[in-house]
Parts: sequence; structure tokens; C-alpha cells
Amino acid sequence: MIIVKNLWFKYNSLYVLKNINLKIGEGELICILGDNGAGKTTLIKHFNGLLKPSKGSVEVDGLDTKRTPVSTLSKKVAIVFQYPEAMFFTSNLIEEVSFALKNFGFKDEVINRQVEKVLKMFWLWRYRNRSPFMLSGGEQRRLALAIVLAWDPKYIIMDEPTAGQDAFQREVLLGVIRELVRRGKTIVLVTHDIEFIFEIRSRIILLKNGEVIYDGDSPVLFNKKTYLLKEAGLDAPTLIKASKLFSQHGIPIEFTDYSDALEKIYRLLTGS
Amino acid sequence: MFKHGYKAFLFEERGNYLFKIDPRTKLIKAFLVMIFSIIISQYIILAILFLIITIELIVLGGVIKKLLRGLLILSPLIAIIFIANYLVTYNIFRSIIPLLRFLIFIFAIDIFFLTTNPDDFALTLEYFKFPLTISLSFALALRFIPTLSIKLNDIVEAQLSRGLRLDQGNILARIKNYLPIIIPLIVTSIKKSIEVAEALEIRGLEPNVKRVPYRYLKMTRNDLIYLAYSIFSLAIIYVLPQAMQILLEII
Repeated sequence: MIIVKNLWFKYNSLYVLKNINLKIGEGELICILGDNGAGKTTLIKHFNGLLKPSKGSVEVDGLDTKRTPVSTLSKKVAIVFQYPEAMFFTSNLIEEVSFALKNFGFKDEVINRQVEKVLKMFWLWRYRNRSPFMLSGGEQRRLALAIVLAWDPKYIIMDEPTAGQDAFQREVLLGVIRELVRRGKTIVLVTHDIEFIFEIRSRIILLKNGEVIYDGDSPVLFNKKTYLLKEAGLDAPTLIKASKLFSQHGIPIEFTDYSDALEKIYRLLTGS
Repeated sequence: MFKHGYKAFLFEERGNYLFKIDPRTKLIKAFLVMIFSIIISQYIILAILFLIITIELIVLGGVIKKLLRGLLILSPLIAIIFIANYLVTYNIFRSIIPLLRFLIFIFAIDIFFLTTNPDDFALTLEYFKFPLTISLSFALALRFIPTLSIKLNDIVEAQLSRGLRLDQGNILARIKNYLPIIIPLIVTSIKKSIEVAEALEIRGLEPNVKRVPYRYLKMTRNDLIYLAYSIFSLAIIYVLPQAMQILLEII
């Protein structure tokens, strides 16, 4: 469990995180939402100790991040950063994936097995001897995910996973996230891509100017507290806007997520 | 370290006196001081000169923080210069002379660099008939220090999250530890420079066509005052010890 207690973080004599209290349990799927500069990335960097709280504390499975080295915490909490090309430095994919595993002290046979497993999982095995810099943008993103999943961390945090991705990559990502949730991993998504969030029912933490203004189930936020989205500088998902329009015209309807919405609209149209 | 080291090179516009002086005047001043410090070999005169330039930078420039940051970065070099000279001469005063010269050189250049914005710097280079490719490269290099330092920070964070430990092993291993940081940084810089080159071409930059600057450098009365003061102060420092000698003899 990740426990954030009264977290304040100061940057350039300005508080960018203000009194954040959170508990992230095992197996949860959480989306951290907020517009640019709301403090999303700053918050997740506290989870593996890259940033240390100015006031308050962050605990990961009982380890205080202030007193635990990043390398220890990273084995549990993996962050997939927004710009994956920032971390590539080797001449082929196998070395790129095994770098972290070597750092974490895994045995050679485990490394070989894991590297093959994750590269195949993301359809990158055939490029295994290529330079990571030669991959396309989408493939680089997949490689970044593969790198992180290779050491099988308990918590996986993705910073803006959908930024600059085409429809196919989003679909792939969605599949991966669903699979990881099924396997009991804790996933934290950081994004302002509201349509993407609407595809999966999750717990939402809404940030505004470094403060949590909503922490709860996504259908409640989308249907009952839509004004909070506006307050945080975000737009409601298109289908939620449609549901409001339906309600205005005397057809009260609420959607929990994308597939639920499609089903309800289908039933509405067919009259069943 | 990665976040703040670059600030020593970053230009900040301020209203202090030195910022209003024409860059060419400051360049002349810097050269005068440097030439003076080479000619003079008395440590007292050099010490007084060093003191005056420091006071000038602090009072007229208001750049004390940057000055200290720069000194901190150079401190190993300063120590080496002093120790090496002491080992050769076995004389503290004589080994101080090259050290003072080094510091005067650095501070004289600082008078120009810390108080001149990159655009004026490029204009100065163009004024002295440097080709556009050189003046523009210099200005862009200065402009990209903060951008690259942010990138560097991203890279360091990404690699730390993959379990990289920079402080592990002997000195050779430690240098090797930096490879996962240096390689992505080089790749990023190359990518960035290609982007910048394309952006410049799109906006119609032609290195061989003569350009007309948007802004011209202009000398004002302030510049004359500053130049006069500089020459006058150097002259006084030069004759001061001799005058003291004469004075002592009379007494």
C-alpha cells in the first residue's frame, strides 16, 4: 500500500502540492486527472522517491521514501515516463530491457526469460537486435512499457501514456492495462485524456493547483459531479455530454463507462 | 546538482548599471583588464585589481549569486593552479600571482558574460564581423542551456527509476555509471539541433545573404563614463604602489 500523509511539496519557493492525503491499495486502478501544471507528475515522482516531501510523508509498503533509496523503491514502484526515448542508451532491445534487471540483481536465467517474455508480449521480439532509437514512436512507447514490466513491479505508474499515440496504440495500451489489473497489479495512470479514462471504470483522483478536489469512483464524478471537471480545467467525455443532453430532453440516463454507454444507447434506440 | 548547476550559465535580465552598458564597451573593459593583469606581476596590484572587479560585479552588476556559483564550479581548478605553482616555487606570494591572474581573467569575462543577454552577444559578434553561422551558434548555445538541463533532469530521473546507481564502485565504474545519462543526452541534443535548424530554415534563414539587424547596438553617455572610469582606475592602481613608495620615503 502507498500511503501519502499531509504531503506538501515546495518548488522554487511555491507550494505545488498542498496537503495531499491518499491511500493506494493493492490491485487498484487509479487515474490521476488534472490540467497542465496541476501537480500530477510532481505527485507521482514522490511514489518512488525521486522527489522527497517538503512536509508530510509518503510510505510505500511501510518504507518511508525519505529514508529509502530510489533504487530500492523503484523495484516496487515503476514509473513509465512520458518521453521514453529519454532513457534509451544501448545498441539493442535485449540490452535495453535487461539493464534494469541487472541493476536490481536478478539472476542471468531470470533476466533472459523475462526479456524474451516481455518483448514477445509487446510484439518487439523480432526487433530484438535493433537499436531502440530506430523504432517508431509507438514502438518506443511499447518498449518503455516492456522495460518496466520486465522486473514485475507491484505498482506501475504511467505518465501521460496516451500522449501522441494513434488509435491502435491506445487500443494496445488499454488491453495491457486491463490485463495488468486482472493480474492484480496496482496501476496509476496520470493523464488529462478524459476520453481514455472513460473507457475504463476506475478510481479518480482529481487535482487542481496541487490540491485533491475529488477522490472516488469515476461514474460518480462523470455523472453527479461534472462541475468538478470544469473546475479542474477539463472537459467532460463526449458521451457524458450526450447523456446530459438526453436528460435535458426528458430521457434521464447515466453512463458508467464507454461499453456501458454503447449498450444503453443501443437499448434506447431499439426500445428493448 | 543536475537541476541547479546550469544556473551559473543562464542569463537573467536585471536593471543594474552593468546591464545597460553596451556589450562592446564591456568587451573593451574586459580586454583592458586582462592585458593589464598580464603586464603586471606584483601581487599587491593584482590583488587590488581583483578586489575592484569583484566590487564592480557585485555593486554595479548585482550578480553575487552567479559569481559564487561560478567560483564553486571552478574551485577544483583554482586549487590545482595554486598547489601546482606552490610545488614549483615554494613561495606563497609567488604562487598567488598566477591564481589572481586566473581569477581576474574569469571575472573580467564575467563582466561581459553575466551582464550581456545572448541577443546582444550575437550582435556584438556580428559587429566584429564574425560570420552569422558563428554568432548564431553562440547565441543558440547559450539559449539552449536551460532546455538541455531540463532534459538532463528527465533522463536522470528515468534512469534512477530503472535502478541506476551513480555512486557505486571505483572511479572507473562511476564514470561508466554516467553512460546511461550521457548517451540519451547526446541523442536528445542532436535531435533538438535538427529541429532548430529546420525551424530556422522554415523562417527563411540564409547564412550567405546579408542580414539587416532588427536592433542596433548603441553607445550612450553611460558607456563613455564607464570606459573613462575603467581606464582611470587601472592607471591609479598602476601608479599607486610607486606613489606609496615615494610617500613613505618623504615621511
